[in-house]
Amino acid sequence: MEKPRIGVYICECGVNISATVDVNAVAEMASRLPGVVVARVYKYMCSEPGQLMIQEDIRNLGLNRVVVASCTPRMHEPTFQRAVEAAGLNPYYFQMANIREHVSWITDDREAATEKAKRLVRAAVFRVPYQAPLEPRREPVTKAALVVGGGIAGIQAALSIADAGYPVYLVEREPSIGGRMAQLDKTFPTLDCST
Amino acid sequence: MMDAGRHPNITLLTYSEVEAVSGYVGNFTVRIRKRARSVDEEKCTGCGLCQEKCPTKVIDTAYEAGMGKRKAIYRPFSQAIPNIPVIDRENCLFFTKGRCKLCEKVCPAGAIDYNQQDQTLEVQVGAIVVATGYGMWDPRQLPQYSYGLSPNIITGLQFERLVSAGGPTGGHIVTAEGKEPERVAIIHCVGSRDVNAHPYCSRFCCMYSLKHAHQVREHTGAQVYEFYMDMRAFGKAYEEFYERVQEDGVIFVRGRGAEVEVLPDGKLRVKGEDADLGRLVSVDVDMVILASAIEPQPDADRVAAIFGLGRTPDGWFAEAHPKLRPAETATAGIFLAGCAQGPRDIPDTVSHADAAAMQVVRLFNQGEVTISPTVAVVDEAKCVGCGECILACPYSAIARNLRGKAEVNPALCQGCGTCVATCPSHAIAGLHFTDEQIVAQIEGLLEGVLV
Repeated sequence: MEKPRIGVYICECGVNISATVDVNAVAEMASRLPGVVVARVYKYMCSEPGQLMIQEDIRNLGLNRVVVASCTPRMHEPTFQRAVEAAGLNPYYFQMANIREHVSWITDDREAATEKAKRLVRAAVFRVPYQAPLEPRREPVTKAALVVGGGIAGIQAALSIADAGYPVYLVEREPSIGGRMAQLDKTFPTLDCST
Repeated sequence: MMDAGRHPNITLLTYSEVEAVSGYVGNFTVRIRKRARSVDEEKCTGCGLCQEKCPTKVIDTAYEAGMGKRKAIYRPFSQAIPNIPVIDRENCLFFTKGRCKLCEKVCPAGAIDYNQQDQTLEVQVGAIVVATGYGMWDPRQLPQYSYGLSPNIITGLQFERLVSAGGPTGGHIVTAEGKEPERVAIIHCVGSRDVNAHPYCSRFCCMYSLKHAHQVREHTGAQVYEFYMDMRAFGKAYEEFYERVQEDGVIFVRGRGAEVEVLPDGKLRVKGEDADLGRLVSVDVDMVILASAIEPQPDADRVAAIFGLGRTPDGWFAEAHPKLRPAETATAGIFLAGCAQGPRDIPDTVSHADAAAMQVVRLFNQGEVTISPTVAVVDEAKCVGCGECILACPYSAIARNLRGKAEVNPALCQGCGTCVATCPSHAIAGLHFTDEQIVAQIEGLLEGVLV
């Protein structure tokens, strides 16, 4: 295993995190963990300056692992993965600690919140040295579509896809396409014919 | 409709159903059952002679919503696409009693084929749009509306057939007795916004009820009593339409129509509360139109299972995000269009369908899909080929290879980790979730807690 050089970034998320978590204490704890080269606090890590901060540290400090403690990875994991990748790091060298949904948003107890945030950050820092670079696979797409249902929705979708130049299979259970709309007389509010 | 029938890029598969879907975004294999029409599609010219001569009449519960009849060999309606009839084998004399064959005798093209079998075909597609629409809630479930007890208590859809020039009465609004009604009641929210039926709003009934009121006034001059709770004229030019119908002289009663009683002389008594007057009201009419709720299709369970769709608590198919990803589903490459996802009117349906089409075209224009590398991998040295993982995998992503060892298809694997936990030989690892990564993470979490 190469010698880990870890950057840790604690997000305040405006006050979403910093109102409940002592972010400076978390960063201070992180800075003393093995392999950590830099630990910073910033208002919005997901913002452009936040991402630039990480990218510059990767270049200037030779970071080979990055941990961001902020919101749920379901929100911004792809954001930060792209950011570290743009700075030359494999995105799977990145790890996220959720100190918002799992910490600051679920308690008012600042002491307990700060303690839990520290543990989540420490867990991420301990984990990243074992992470390995991975490459996403790319697969070709079959450029034909199936549309299930031949009512107004299916017909419209099929026509738009077909007009874009792609073959469409339009499957309808009844003997004719048309669906509900073919049953209607005039339609509101213009009173125009439906078929 | 006609454009879809003629488009060179569209293959129409009518009288057909999807039976199974396998694969993943960009690479789906779909099995489709094409039911036997008993009519040779190549030979049939669509002349309609068979339908004209067929001696068997059947109440048409599909297209005519029970308001009219069709034959046992039929096109659902005159502008049907394709313009090819089907034999309804459950009602055809030949299929039920072994005699008749009149359609075969009269067909000038020799297109009738009683021996035709269902066909199964398989197609390869990169994306799927589910646009399976909605079902009609049955007003018999709330007996206070007396639906089914008088032929003059009809649903909004049945009124559509009544007022349609191509419908069973040629567009004449008449009661079952064949007379123009003098008084008509329209009741909104029947089965919608009702905890005893569907709590949701069916969204387009307010507007079609206003349209029905307008049509009754225009065609017959009958007095119209419209019972409504709130008038949801939310769309562009809808409020103006509401104003216009008020000018038609329709009597609006603000309050839920509570009950319909069939009187001994066949008249219908509608009772309700007029919330503006603060008292109970009742009116005797000749016809009642129930703006009945729409609901998920009766086979939505099966469709959800075939396409791997989630459902929202109200039963409609679940979109990936209610605001930002309204046409996507939780399964990549499978999209939703129209009322299958929830009640919406025609303009909103068209927009939604185009949103789904846009997602499909976007995928095709990209030309390739990126598949996450966080998949399971098998260490063949440790694998004993027991097959436990194959049974455990929810995505059918694992099979035995030529060496008898488990092998994961990374294109199908979703990285869920079920096989990793199942493998008795500890031969499977989840990439990015390896044991050493997770153990290190746990050590970080518990430092100072456990010694």
